Amino acid sequence: MSSIPVDPHSGSRMTDNTENHPGAREPLVLNMDRFSQVTQQVCQVAEARRTPMAWYICFALSLGCLGVLGFCVLYLILTGVGVWGLNNPVMWAFDITNFVFWVGIGHAGTLISAILFLFRQKWRTGINRFAEAMTIFAVICAGLFPGIHVGRVWVVYWLFPLPNQMEMWPQFRSPLLWDVFAVGTYFTVSLLFWFTGMVPDLATLRDRAKGKIQQIAYGAFSLGWRGSNRHWHRYERAYLLLAALSTPLVLSVHSVVSFDFATSQLPGWHTTIFPPYFVAGAIFSGFAMVVTLAVPAREMFGLKNLITIRHLDNMNKIILVTGCMVGYAYSMEFFIAWYSGALYEKFAFLNRAFGQYWWAYFLMVGCNVITPQLFWFKAIRTSIPIMFVLSLLVNVGMWFERFVIIVSSLANDFLPSSWDVFVPTWVDIGTLLGSFGLFMVLFLLFCRFIPMIAIAEIKAIMPQADPHFDEHGSDDHEAQEETKGEVTS
Amino acid sequence: MSHVNVTADLSERNVELGSIGGVARNACLAVGIIGLAVAFLLPVFGLADVTWDIFWRSWLQTWIFVLEISLGAFFFVIIQHLTRAGWSVAVRRPAEVIASNLNWLWIGFLPIVGLLVFGKASHLFPWSDMEALAAHAPEEAHLVAGKEAYLNTPFFLIRSAIYFVVWGVLATYFWRASIRQGTETGDRTTLKMQKISAPAAILFGLTISFAAFDWIMSLSPAWFSTMFGVYFFAGTATCGFSAIIITCILLQRNGRMVNLITNEHYQDMGKLLFGIGMVFWAYIGFSQYMLIWYANIPEETGWFLARQMGDWGWFSVWLLFGHFCIPFVFLISKHPKRNWRTLVFAALWMLFFGWFDVYWLVMPTIPHDLSTFATYDAAAEAYAHVGTGLLNPVNWLLLAGMLGIFTWFTIGRLRSHPLICTSDPWIDDSLHFENM
Repeated sequence: MSSIPVDPHSGSRMTDNTENHPGAREPLVLNMDRFSQVTQQVCQVAEARRTPMAWYICFALSLGCLGVLGFCVLYLILTGVGVWGLNNPVMWAFDITNFVFWVGIGHAGTLISAILFLFRQKWRTGINRFAEAMTIFAVICAGLFPGIHVGRVWVVYWLFPLPNQMEMWPQFRSPLLWDVFAVGTYFTVSLLFWFTGMVPDLATLRDRAKGKIQQIAYGAFSLGWRGSNRHWHRYERAYLLLAALSTPLVLSVHSVVSFDFATSQLPGWHTTIFPPYFVAGAIFSGFAMVVTLAVPAREMFGLKNLITIRHLDNMNKIILVTGCMVGYAYSMEFFIAWYSGALYEKFAFLNRAFGQYWWAYFLMVGCNVITPQLFWFKAIRTSIPIMFVLSLLVNVGMWFERFVIIVSSLANDFLPSSWDVFVPTWVDIGTLLGSFGLFMVLFLLFCRFIPMIAIAEIKAIMPQADPHFDEHGSDDHEAQEETKGEVTS
Repeated sequence: MSHVNVTADLSERNVELGSIGGVARNACLAVGIIGLAVAFLLPVFGLADVTWDIFWRSWLQTWIFVLEISLGAFFFVIIQHLTRAGWSVAVRRPAEVIASNLNWLWIGFLPIVGLLVFGKASHLFPWSDMEALAAHAPEEAHLVAGKEAYLNTPFFLIRSAIYFVVWGVLATYFWRASIRQGTETGDRTTLKMQKISAPAAILFGLTISFAAFDWIMSLSPAWFSTMFGVYFFAGTATCGFSAIIITCILLQRNGRMVNLITNEHYQDMGKLLFGIGMVFWAYIGFSQYMLIWYANIPEETGWFLARQMGDWGWFSVWLLFGHFCIPFVFLISKHPKRNWRTLVFAALWMLFFGWFDVYWLVMPTIPHDLSTFATYDAAAEAYAHVGTGLLNPVNWLLLAGMLGIFTWFTIGRLRSHPLICTSDPWIDDSLHFENM
């Protein structure tokens, strides 16, 4: 099993854990000997009496953006969808672009918590909690857009197949309805997964809470957790089952989102590679967002030894892999558009690259295919400022990918006489900006009040949790026993 | 669930195949030669209604199946290095050996090259003889004429050569490097394999996609699907992973690798087969079918129509149930993955359906007069009596022949070196590996 490499010169533990030594797993928790240190470090963020100034500044900005969202949505509802730049034939633009973008962001959480869990990737424990939180908030943002774009928002519940006296049902053969089910299921399972994983940590906060309000709030949500053997056993079973249930969801949600487009006959929308291509793109953008958020969060709350450079390095590798997959899909689409011999198909792709939205297309290819290639170099994968900028670029690129797919295909369809240009209005832009506000407000509240890192899970991957762990040849068994006993405390 | 491996027996007796398998190996060679020879006699004497057209189509199909086995094993090897996997050291050598066959499998493609060069391949690849195509299917010829820059014999052969070089060089490299790794100290080779695995994965993805377009999709040159390369990839995982499992179990039944490969490894290989070779395959297959069915664009539906008319309809249903529904239920629990008897049954089943899938891809041809029917029912009635030719002996003789030679090579290479790289840095991880 892995042991902590010791720097031969100083004798102290190395803080660079990005080196690869075949045969040894590098430590994922740095400069920590005891489990209680982990508890202390993660809990102190939620328990701190003083909130960091940076948090207040971010929160105020986010709240402002949320206000813009509220205003734009209210204006939209009171006036009608004409306030957006939509026209005939571009009947979908920013609304659905934002929807797909946010659903995509929501993919990293489930991938980390479910698929990386099944693949036994221990490094996921450092980032899973807030990636899952991010998932939930992103899906909330996503869910907003189909809701408000329907025109008559007061009958939005017609999206759901509710029995009614009019005997009126949604069109079950429409992928738009499948979307309601897919996103709904995804949100429910992600929320359950997130909450289930959090119960032991909430109990820790409850036990440590000093104030009455905290005791009651954390106490209610920790569901009477006592950390008994039986509790842990049930918890592990539930976690495994939820992971297994979430795994197909990682694929299904964005596949169904892609069906919204691919089941149509519109060139540029109808192509068979869409389902896996959308899933790869979603994971790509999701991980970019995790990096975007993790970099400042670990700085602001002093969590650099729990979210280490190696975690970021690994995430950047996943961004590289999924970026290559997205590049593969772009090239296959282009190649097959030519190979198909279909006139409209060829036109749709040439128009994408050289038509009126050429700049959006090159922004998309530049950010999604070229940018991640820089992550081939370790120096870039481990450089905080560069990765932060690149992750932002990927987010921009992925937003534009959806914009390009949706708008360029609609704007120039089969009949040149019906072609038009989509120009966003201030309401379009305000709603997009506002959705970031909604996301950030939720995320900042989460950072402040909920354990941002899975305390119990991270303890389990420390070398001290290994039954064969030998604390550097020390024969102080009592100390070891004591350390182990803290896993459940 | 603790099978902790306490007695890791790394003695020669346990990790080298030695002289055993000699009889089996010779038998494989005999089956291979006899199978191919008898299959060859069928069209020569016109037995069992086998024409040369049928023979070469069946040849191509069987050869692609055997190639898929090696490609799947090759993918397995790359991905282990790419992810710095520890658990898989105990089962990696058999995978490397199966993949190493990529350095001679190109020989099986030479007859097809010959057909193309001598202009006799028009029944197989209609684009290779545009005049003949224009004569009996002018509409299709018009479409295919636009693809001539890609679908022409010289470029096709150049591309095929590139695939063979890439696969042959890389698969041989990973096999040889792993053997070298077993004789040297230090991490140099391990790190180098890790480094090469990343570009290797990219080359693998690109080459198998275009190989699938060239060798399978262009059999119906008017048809196209952006997903096709991914579908082929899923098929390689099915065949490759099944073959690795079967090889490991055979080694253990012959008293080798005892206590080195454990139920823990089998469970993990079973998971990979289940996840990628079965569920992912079904996901890709479903997405491809559903999108084409739903949009119902005539340019695309013909390919599936050819696979649902006449006997092909039931064949397709069998593919769905045999490749997905039945094994899904069978393998979803961990218990059948941890028992060698049930796992080898599942792997043989999946290997067979991997072959079945290639048959479904290669053998049907889209009727040229499909567009002349007013309704689907009229077309289906006209082609109600199309057979699949599944039971024709030529398929089974060629399968026995090619698999025989493939196994002969594989056993030979397994015998030449230890069955496990005992000095791999991750060997301890692998030998003490537990799922839970």
